Amino acid sequence: MMWSVNEGNRKSQGRTSSSRGASFTLRKSSVVFGSTVALDSVDLHIGSGEAVGFVGLSGAGKTTLLCLLNGTVRPTGGTVQVDGRDLATLSFEELRKVRSGIGFVHQDLSLIPNLRVLHNVLAGRLGKLSFWGGMRAFLFPQRRYVHQIHEILERVGIPEKIYERTDRLSGGQRQRVAIARALFQEPVGLLADEPVSSVDPARARSAVSLLTEISREQGLTLCVSLHNLHLAREFFPRLVGLRAGRVVFDRATEQVTEDEFEALYDLNGV
Amino acid sequence: MKMTRSWDRAFLHKGLGVRRILILAILSGGIWAFVQLDLNPADLVPTSGGVQVAWAFFSRALSPAIVYEAEFVPSDTPPLLWKALQAAGTTVVFASAAMSLALIWGLLLGFLASSSWWVGDPAGGAGNVTAFVRRSIAPVVYGSTRVLIAFMRSIHELIWAVLFLAAFGLSHLSAVIAIAIPFGGTLAKIFSEMIDEAPRDVAHAFRGSGASATHVYLFGLVPRALPDMTAYSFYRFECALRSSAILGFFGYPTLGFYIAASFENLHYGEVWTYLYTLLVLVILVDWWSGALRKRFVV
Ligand SMILES: Nc1ncnc2c1ncn2[C@@H]1O[C@H](COP(=O)(O)OP(=O)(O)OP(=O)(O)O)[C@@H](O)[C@H]1O
Ligand SMILES: [Mg+2]
Repeated sequence: MMWSVNEGNRKSQGRTSSSRGASFTLRKSSVVFGSTVALDSVDLHIGSGEAVGFVGLSGAGKTTLLCLLNGTVRPTGGTVQVDGRDLATLSFEELRKVRSGIGFVHQDLSLIPNLRVLHNVLAGRLGKLSFWGGMRAFLFPQRRYVHQIHEILERVGIPEKIYERTDRLSGGQRQRVAIARALFQEPVGLLADEPVSSVDPARARSAVSLLTEISREQGLTLCVSLHNLHLAREFFPRLVGLRAGRVVFDRATEQVTEDEFEALYDLNGV
Repeated sequence: MKMTRSWDRAFLHKGLGVRRILILAILSGGIWAFVQLDLNPADLVPTSGGVQVAWAFFSRALSPAIVYEAEFVPSDTPPLLWKALQAAGTTVVFASAAMSLALIWGLLLGFLASSSWWVGDPAGGAGNVTAFVRRSIAPVVYGSTRVLIAFMRSIHELIWAVLFLAAFGLSHLSAVIAIAIPFGGTLAKIFSEMIDEAPRDVAHAFRGSGASATHVYLFGLVPRALPDMTAYSFYRFECALRSSAILGFFGYPTLGFYIAASFENLHYGEVWTYLYTLLVLVILVDWWSGALRKRFVV
């Protein structure tokens, strides 16, 4: 397949593109839902163009952390900065603008089943369009957009599906539609929440490699939450381990010890 | 097997208790209504004159008229079947005009009457005027819209027709608006509920990519509800056909006009011809909506 990675140690290759990618900084960020502490005083800095994997058990707070980064969840304590700007100080319009620059591939993909692939991908651009611009794009898509979307679909490996109804696609193909939608945002940061949960191991691997490859090509900052430790270690130069809402390690992948991985996934201590 | 402890049992039975009471209440409500109205099956046995009329009418069900039953027909009168077709056409035109208006009102009011466009953006941003306005004005708009559409719905199209005829006379617009008002109200109510019940995952995702509230609503929520909304609109179109036919009783040249005239003249065969025309209309709409729904792509 055209997007398959050539084997070899991808993760150690340096980032070639310049500082296009977004940077994220969390300072003592906490998130409390009712009586559940989802994140507990997290300090984290992710630099422009980095690729970071978030690992941890179910309920450790990975999704919540990703949602902090695009401002769809607000911290109940501490601050979240994107490119040095505290999200809590932004106006609604400014926040929208920041969000429009961050692509998010959701765990459940969040696609509209009865729309064509074209329209699902098109929706990624809504954040950058005016009311009438969005109406125009949805009702009478401009050729320029159609060509651009075709190119992106080509990049993710399903160009022939552009006019297909989304619910007629396989799980793996839908995943690519979700990735294409995030890319059509022309983002500076890409967040992916467990992007491999609905597909077989081979496709899981190719999806992760696709994400890392595209992010490297375009100089995007990439944060991916993963249950699969093997994939995380293979593709990400830096890993953040989460356990019960706390960061238990945050360093270069090769420096994380086996003991730390075992402690992270130890079910007894939760 | 483990014994169920008594407090466990109390808990287990509580869930069913409410349900049992509800079922009994609904049943006894129905019986009470029957008793109130003094409904008696014996009332269905007709008087002897009634039997004759009923027989005369129903015996023509299998032999609807092909030509006029009157002895004298003016020479410039079109053939019966042609007239039935014309009446059907007029019925469709009135229904379509009313539905077009009702759809516009239904979509607009349905938007205002759904809670999805203003409830909950968890991360609105600081000093957010838009969010403040939305949070304080929106509930008022929402509430008054719901009252308005309840008002539109609670008055039947025939009553609206009586009011408009008194005010504006027998104009085409009176008939169209009389149907459009209650239909618009019903569409608005059902649309708003369908949209509010559509899954929110996509809306959440769109908001996360910076889409405005209106875009989230139009492209994230409405498309998910659209197949249901279309099916329901077709069903309402059927109802509009019936209502438009009935408005013939007021003198509009729809099927109802000719049904009433033929019935008065005891030309039951003609009545059946018109009734079957209406039936064919409804079947056609049903077939059309089915065919469309089968290959529905937004
Ligand atoms: N909207 C919410 N309301 C209440 N509690 C929530 C909400 N979202 C998350 N939580 C809680 O916060 C904690 C962290 O959840 P989160 O979804 O971030 O975990 P996760 O690491 O993504 O898990 P998984 O790997 O299963 O997706 C969990 O205990 C969860 O129950
Ligand atoms: Mg999760």
